[in-house]
Amino acid sequence: MTATMGTPQDTTPVVRGAAAGAGGGAPFRSRRPRPLISHGRWWWALPAVLVVVLIHYLATAGGAFYAFTDWTGVGDFDFIGLENFRRIFDDPAMIGSIQNTLFLAFGFLIATNVVGLVLALALNRTLRTRYLLRVLFFMPVVLSPLAVSYVWKFIFDFNGPLNGVLGWIGMEPRLWLADPGLALWAVLVVMAWQTTGMVMVIYLAGLATVPAEIEEAAALDGASTWRRFRHITLPSIRPSVAIASTLMLIQGLRVFDQVMALTGGGPAGATETLATQVYKETFALSNFGFGAALALLLTLIMLVFAVLQQAATKDRS
Amino acid sequence: MRRLGVLAAVPAVSVLTLAACGGGDEDGGAAGAAGPADSFTWAFENASGGAENPWLVLAEEYTEETGVQIETQPLPPDSYGLTMRTQLQGGNAPALMMFAPGSGQSSSVIPLAEAGYLEPLGEASAALVPEGSESQFGIDGEIYAQPTSLIPVAVTWNAGAAGEAGVEYPEDFDAYLEACRSLADEGRSMAVIAGAVPPNPGLMSMAISATRVYAETPDWNDQRAAGETTFAESEGWQETLQTVVDLNEAGCFQPGAPGAGFDAITQGITQGTSLTAFLPGTAANELMNATPGLELDTRAFPPAEGEPYLLASPNYVLSVNADADEGEKQAALDFLEWMADPENAERVTEIQGGVPITGPGENLNAAYEPVRDLLESGSYAPLPNQGWPNPGVYDALATGAQGLLTGQSDVQSVLEAMDQAYDQ
Repeated sequence: MTATMGTPQDTTPVVRGAAAGAGGGAPFRSRRPRPLISHGRWWWALPAVLVVVLIHYLATAGGAFYAFTDWTGVGDFDFIGLENFRRIFDDPAMIGSIQNTLFLAFGFLIATNVVGLVLALALNRTLRTRYLLRVLFFMPVVLSPLAVSYVWKFIFDFNGPLNGVLGWIGMEPRLWLADPGLALWAVLVVMAWQTTGMVMVIYLAGLATVPAEIEEAAALDGASTWRRFRHITLPSIRPSVAIASTLMLIQGLRVFDQVMALTGGGPAGATETLATQVYKETFALSNFGFGAALALLLTLIMLVFAVLQQAATKDRS
Repeated sequence: MRRLGVLAAVPAVSVLTLAACGGGDEDGGAAGAAGPADSFTWAFENASGGAENPWLVLAEEYTEETGVQIETQPLPPDSYGLTMRTQLQGGNAPALMMFAPGSGQSSSVIPLAEAGYLEPLGEASAALVPEGSESQFGIDGEIYAQPTSLIPVAVTWNAGAAGEAGVEYPEDFDAYLEACRSLADEGRSMAVIAGAVPPNPGLMSMAISATRVYAETPDWNDQRAAGETTFAESEGWQETLQTVVDLNEAGCFQPGAPGAGFDAITQGITQGTSLTAFLPGTAANELMNATPGLELDTRAFPPAEGEPYLLASPNYVLSVNADADEGEKQAALDFLEWMADPENAERVTEIQGGVPITGPGENLNAAYEPVRDLLESGSYAPLPNQGWPNPGVYDALATGAQGLLTGQSDVQSVLEAMDQAYDQ
């Protein structure tokens, strides 16, 4: 009975030869949790740790330092304290960029997770063509975001196929990417269209762990489809929800490629996000200090939302 | 220590900002390698990416004539300024580089001269600088940038398509608006713009400002620098942007203009569905060379009242890297001297499709004949953003003009944004 309680990986007593009843008479030593890297061996990881610290964290910290300067990319600079951050929060264009970033991030999070979960549920069992459909829905994920965006740019063009269809059914053509009320939604559609297949795969992996017999038992007990989903399926795939929502939130917050390819941040800043503003300020307008401040702000926002999101999807059972 | 900090900053800021913005595949530039004096490296913008770029043609001709090899580095315009700054700071920039005059663009020459990255040029280069524009080519009495040819920036007139449509170029703004309305009824447009690409509405606004601002006040930029006026207070700038609004409301632009890219300009002009575009004279020349039978010329944008006026300035200048290998540096300086020779300067102008820096002569490009009088009489001002202190001012104008087309902005808010950017 004791043996059946252990996990397959739990071989410590055998390895140490200290299992009770072995007949050797050796005293049973209490097991202490082993550290990830044992003392005396940690220095094997030192070169890799140093490389990561130097290239990743030190460079990032260096960039963060420039957020407090007025450096233009050449010549000298002055330390200006929090002036760059004051400018960010005084500038309506920057506030608009933060709002657009949050709109796209949460719109992307919701759209990809809802549609991805629905697709995963639909293609989990029973459907005969599910393997083919899974491939079809996943295919956009492997394409370059830029390539996908340029295809959609053609679709959204004033003289493109979408307006052609509208004209065919007697509707007026729309400026999909140049209308400030539509452009952000158009970007969101392209982002979600490309990434939903990835979320579907994550949920399919989660659904594979849900025991079919429990669902069948609940169905025999008269539980409705919604109650079975709510009380059996969803709790079982909670780890998948946590992974998919974290990945999509972070991907949504750092959106760049699709915006640059579809609208370039226009019309007149209507689709600018923090990431596109960072690029524009740093590389197009040579405001390195201000761009670094924007980048630091974006990093902090991502950090805060990632932590909040992890807390929200934590398994409390 | 400061230099080390600066060197560390580019990768540091880049890592913090965009991991996706990987570097290009330019090789490190030969300036760092010990090159013989009979060769040098030269970087320039190449928007079209084609082999017909005037700088490439010029390099080939120079090599044929002198035997000096030029290793050219044609780079895309959107990242050109950043690439040059990074290479100059990294010590691997080419010996010769193309820049823009003044301080108002990301590839402007003055900030680089102030940072000590450029070599002072000689008398031959200084003699080519237009009188009164010295501050856009050098600092402290030294010249760091040799101008090439004058590039008119105005209205590109599709003379062939206009002839077919039976339309004469309007002499005043009211006639222009009237032509817009009549052409729209025929399924054509008076103007084609790339509304989705802010620099094109920005260039249009600057072209209009020639008659609304600079014709009456040629030293307006100096007044702004001295704090005697602002964009928001300037009647000329208010009128300039109001003209953009009027053009939009009169249906002067092609359908879908706010969402159009540069391809719309190429199609509209080459297919004859649009009669005018706002382009630099060199771009109009490239378009004409690439499309047999296309008849384009350059006109001044019609004034609301008074005489026509034009924008024309040497929009491209050449500078020498102060840290280049001595042999290469000398070879690059020899090349600039060769370009300054009147006979060669004429050839440069011909290849570039501009106007000789000394003014129009007998061999003026036929596309500029309609504005010959303006060029001869000096009725032109330099591109306004060359005299602005940072690229943010032009960005505010360009983005604001885009907002005027979509109805997101109004004239006063755009001008206030330009003032705010100016004072940064």
